[in-house]
Amino acid sequence: MPKSQYVDPGKVFTPGFIEFEKIPLCQYKKTLAEEKKIYSKEDFLRIYHDMRTIREFETMLNEIKTKSEYNGVKYNNPGPAHLSIGQEASAVGQAYCLDINDYTFGSHRSHGEILAKGLSSINKLDEKELYEIMKEFLGGQTLAVVEKNNKSGSIKDLAKDFLLYGALAEIFARTTGFNKGLGGSMHAFFIPFGILPNNAIVGGAAPIALGAALYKRSNHKKGIVVANSGDGALGRGPVLESLNFASMDQITKLWGMDGKYSSDGMPILFNVFNNFYGMGGQTMGETMGFTYPARLAAGFNPDQMHAEKVNGYDPLAVIDATTRKKEILLSGKGPALLEVTTYRVSGHSPSDASTYRTQEEIEAWKEACPIKAYRKKMVKGKIATEAEFDEIDRGIIDRITKIIKLAIDDEVSPRMDLSKNPDMISSIMFSNQHVKSMDETREPEVLMPKEENPRVKQIAGKSRYAFDDKGEAIPKMKLFNIRDGLFEAIIDKFYEDPTTIAYGEDNRDWGGAFAVYRGLTEALPYHRFFNAPISESAIVGSSVGYAVAGGRAIVELMYADFIGCAGDEIFNQLSKWQSMSAGILKMPVVLRVSVGSKYGAQHSQDWTALCSHIPGLKVCFPATPYDAKGLMNAALNGTDPVVFFESQRIYDKGEEFHKEGVPEGYYEVQFGDPDVKREGKDVTILTIGAVLYRALEAAKKLEEQYGISAEVIDARSMVPFNYEKVIESVKKTGKIIIVGDAVDRGSIMRDMASNITEMAFDYLDAPPAVFGSRNWITPAFELEKYYFPQADGIIDVIHEKLMPIPGHVTKYNETEAEHIERAKRGV
Amino acid sequence: MANVVIMPRQGQSVESCIITAWQKKKGDHVEVKDILFSYETDKSAFDEPSQFSGTVLEVLWNEGDVVPCLEPVCIIGEPGEDISALLPKKAEAQAATEAPKADEAPKAAAEAAATVSESSGERVFISPRARKLALESGVDMTKVVSTGPHGRIIERDINKALDQGFVATTEKVELFLAGKPVETDNEAEESAAPAPAAAAAAPADLRAYDEEPLSNVRKVIAKSMHQSLAEMAQLTLNSSFNAKSLLDYRAKLKAGAETLGLGKITINDMVLYAVSRILPKYPEINANLVDGKFRKFRHANVCVAVDTDRGLLVPVIFGAEAMTLSEIAKRSKELASQAREGKCSPDDMSGGSFTVSNLGSMGVESFTPVINPPQTAILGVCCTTNRLDAEGKVYPAMGLSLTFDHRAVDGAPAAKFLKELCTALENFELLLAK
Repeated sequence: MPKSQYVDPGKVFTPGFIEFEKIPLCQYKKTLAEEKKIYSKEDFLRIYHDMRTIREFETMLNEIKTKSEYNGVKYNNPGPAHLSIGQEASAVGQAYCLDINDYTFGSHRSHGEILAKGLSSINKLDEKELYEIMKEFLGGQTLAVVEKNNKSGSIKDLAKDFLLYGALAEIFARTTGFNKGLGGSMHAFFIPFGILPNNAIVGGAAPIALGAALYKRSNHKKGIVVANSGDGALGRGPVLESLNFASMDQITKLWGMDGKYSSDGMPILFNVFNNFYGMGGQTMGETMGFTYPARLAAGFNPDQMHAEKVNGYDPLAVIDATTRKKEILLSGKGPALLEVTTYRVSGHSPSDASTYRTQEEIEAWKEACPIKAYRKKMVKGKIATEAEFDEIDRGIIDRITKIIKLAIDDEVSPRMDLSKNPDMISSIMFSNQHVKSMDETREPEVLMPKEENPRVKQIAGKSRYAFDDKGEAIPKMKLFNIRDGLFEAIIDKFYEDPTTIAYGEDNRDWGGAFAVYRGLTEALPYHRFFNAPISESAIVGSSVGYAVAGGRAIVELMYADFIGCAGDEIFNQLSKWQSMSAGILKMPVVLRVSVGSKYGAQHSQDWTALCSHIPGLKVCFPATPYDAKGLMNAALNGTDPVVFFESQRIYDKGEEFHKEGVPEGYYEVQFGDPDVKREGKDVTILTIGAVLYRALEAAKKLEEQYGISAEVIDARSMVPFNYEKVIESVKKTGKIIIVGDAVDRGSIMRDMASNITEMAFDYLDAPPAVFGSRNWITPAFELEKYYFPQADGIIDVIHEKLMPIPGHVTKYNETEAEHIERAKRGV
Repeated sequence: MANVVIMPRQGQSVESCIITAWQKKKGDHVEVKDILFSYETDKSAFDEPSQFSGTVLEVLWNEGDVVPCLEPVCIIGEPGEDISALLPKKAEAQAATEAPKADEAPKAAAEAAATVSESSGERVFISPRARKLALESGVDMTKVVSTGPHGRIIERDINKALDQGFVATTEKVELFLAGKPVETDNEAEESAAPAPAAAAAAPADLRAYDEEPLSNVRKVIAKSMHQSLAEMAQLTLNSSFNAKSLLDYRAKLKAGAETLGLGKITINDMVLYAVSRILPKYPEINANLVDGKFRKFRHANVCVAVDTDRGLLVPVIFGAEAMTLSEIAKRSKELASQAREGKCSPDDMSGGSFTVSNLGSMGVESFTPVINPPQTAILGVCCTTNRLDAEGKVYPAMGLSLTFDHRAVDGAPAAKFLKELCTALENFELLLAK
């Protein structure tokens, strides 16, 4: 909502029509004579070679899956194989015109795209570069295998072995594969060749590719990004969100900031391989209404995303169209959309009985085989003889036979030995690095010196400790609070790391819904700090792609409840790419989510448990300005994905624990280190998030009314979590209650209680008690005390479950009998 | 044809009895009605007369054995008769003579433990932390009073016992925790006593003692009384009333009772009478509290505490509210003598709704009676003392001590009950006229 753009009631009601341009369908008309002027014989044969290689590779996998034998080599592969037989011309045509700097992202059916882009890059790289890449990769272990078995003396020939072997070893889960076998068939990638992560979630790659394009756009990097998907993926929200996000007006209208910065559009090509089926659902005529996927593009921006449909069975038509789209993107007029019409002759997977299509249809498409047709055209046009093509075929079959022999040899291509090295996967779940700047070669782009920032100046006048010399509380307006702590850490990082970028809903101008970002609008250009569309999937998914491409992102979902809108992106993408890449990728993303209050059932939930449940995410929930700044610093200086929970109840809380105040300079609060906020000896209260203050109130009452001394520990982060400090406390007190605002059932509190029971059983004087919110919806603010844990309730639970307190009269029913009844009723 | 004598079931709730003495031994001749053996239930003692004449061919249990009700105890028949079919199988016979001993031991230990520190069955419920502390400190577990949730022993309970100087040995703690018998000997207490040096210096014979296991009745009383104090919120109200009218009426009765054939009527009977008339108006007091539920009795089933050689017994006068004073007096005397002779059946001693305990005859001026669980209140009757009224005149004041379970009854209704009782007793003849 920039003020520079006036929404004029005098204009918005003007009558008229939306005009659409025609969307070309298969308009490629070049003759062979014209084509001969563009391509040399070598080019023509390379195109054949690449298509034929993909065909043979996929055929080999199909034979292995269905007959456990290929060309006399026996093997059983239990993993997936989503083959693309029939789609070779589409993949090769696209890759033909892409450079090393151009990135492709694909789907679960991307073997063909990987090989096509790999072969294209091998062709384009010079031998020295190529050899360096192979030698550097995983310490040269993949190269070593193929080098020993390649006598050609040609680096390019060796590189073909390297590509095929790296991909196949990955598919067969071997440590010599491109991701040490941890990605597998549907997630393989090889960044040095511009092959970026493919995705087993249909449409999952679209927002990630968008993020990589955003990285190129915001950091002025060369190249374009191709987001490959099938036609079926167009039914998915994240894909549609990404189409919209990439098309948003501000990129060309506002990001230039009056000529100061680039006004180029997003350099991304959404490439739809339309093979007519999403698994078995027929998109044209059954599950969609667009007839042509290209039609969708017309709705996203006035350029209609420069959409067209091209014949994906003619590699030269695909090359022609992709080249034109690439030019559009490089000229700053992106994004673009290309529908490449093709057909998958093979089943969705080897178990596909093709119940949804006729044998007649399959046979007709087999007859129309793009490779056969291309070869026929070449022979007929006297570009090459059948014998030459036969020679190419033989070479491919020999190579693939050699490669599969290597890839299934347990000596040459071992699997991860988790007996000998049980921590191999543990060691790559997080990268745990400390990196101040993701690009130290550049200065951060900012609009003013940090010291001149109005928010920075305002904060300078605030008290960084909550009480004055006499112990009196400082008035709120003069108090450095949690939002100030977060702001300080974030603005510092913006002035330190040029790749750092922040976006989300209402971040710019508004300053974030809860004013954490107030002051950033003045400090940062649009391409580093902007308002995203209300597209949680695209917001989080693009942050993943931004990090995969090499940047650091801070994204915000406003309310933690909106985690549900970005489920796949948080739970399947953000969390998994570091480990699925065998540690090759880093994921420096901070996802800020705010736990609401007063706003009812869909705006008040603490979902720390959902995030903590998923391996690969760090999760924290600070409750003080000191911890908020320290944890944000640690998160921003790290290389791991962090879901950063904040609470709207306590944004204005001052620092009540560190008497010296919140430091102005840099410091970190280590993840996993719970903090004793109040010492005691009789009972331990472990808190998660904002409930800390209610626990302290309970501790005060326990002390004053019953002479019970409670120790209060603030968990601060849930993942990772060091239990040692808590166990030390339990050894002292023998009793622990874990309190948080999340609903009790399945909460991280329950997980902690179970762990503490196991770890400190002999020291426990009662089973750890858990006090979370009721297993209800969050009611209205006025009723919240019956829902969220309160100080009196904490005392009641201690009385009922840990140590009956003589004379205590309970206010809440937290008896065991009541809990059994509630469980019976599912509440 | 030989006959099997079984252990009778004395009352619905009785599951087993202990054989206290054999009056006949194997080989003895018995006649019908000859006493075979004596035995005790939790609450009473009995002699078992023979229903058969013949020779005792086999005795299946020893003195001190706990015998499940309806199990064979001995076999009576003609000498030389084949009784093998009647005998329990060999393994079982073995078990019958040996296992019960082994069984009984932990049970006795558990019961002994229950006197103080155990409240829910035979397992010892104790937190891991308290267990650890107990083993490290060697606390005397028999002195530990549990205060945790579910009656679980928690750390503070061990610490309290330690603070009071109750130390035993780690071995004894282990035995106790394993549910095995632990001698609640004085040695431990002495070793923890404040002046161990003096005790140690004393000659051995001065430290001698006789060790006796608790009788069944004692164990039950101990368990019941402790359970009462551990589980209830007990509170005692003390009051007194002008007993002049009561004593005057008693004097009249003494003079006229013989002629009217009313029998001896005591002050306690009169108190029982007054209680029986007022109780029905207070359903929470005329009640049991069991598992969080009230059993509000439709009749005033008043228990009379009777001191016996075995310990305190509390037989019940059922339906006292409908009985005349003389009927109450008669029934109470019957029950007291049966109790003293150990002839009260268990059914006579359960189902009470309220208890009256009289220590007045022993000169006790005020006391804190302990509620007989699961009842909700108990009245203590104290002695009469001379007091001055507002005008300076001497009058006989008799004390009443009402203990009630605050979980069931609040202070105000309890006080009201006591007040109404005092008023009734002060105007006893009017009460009779009602």
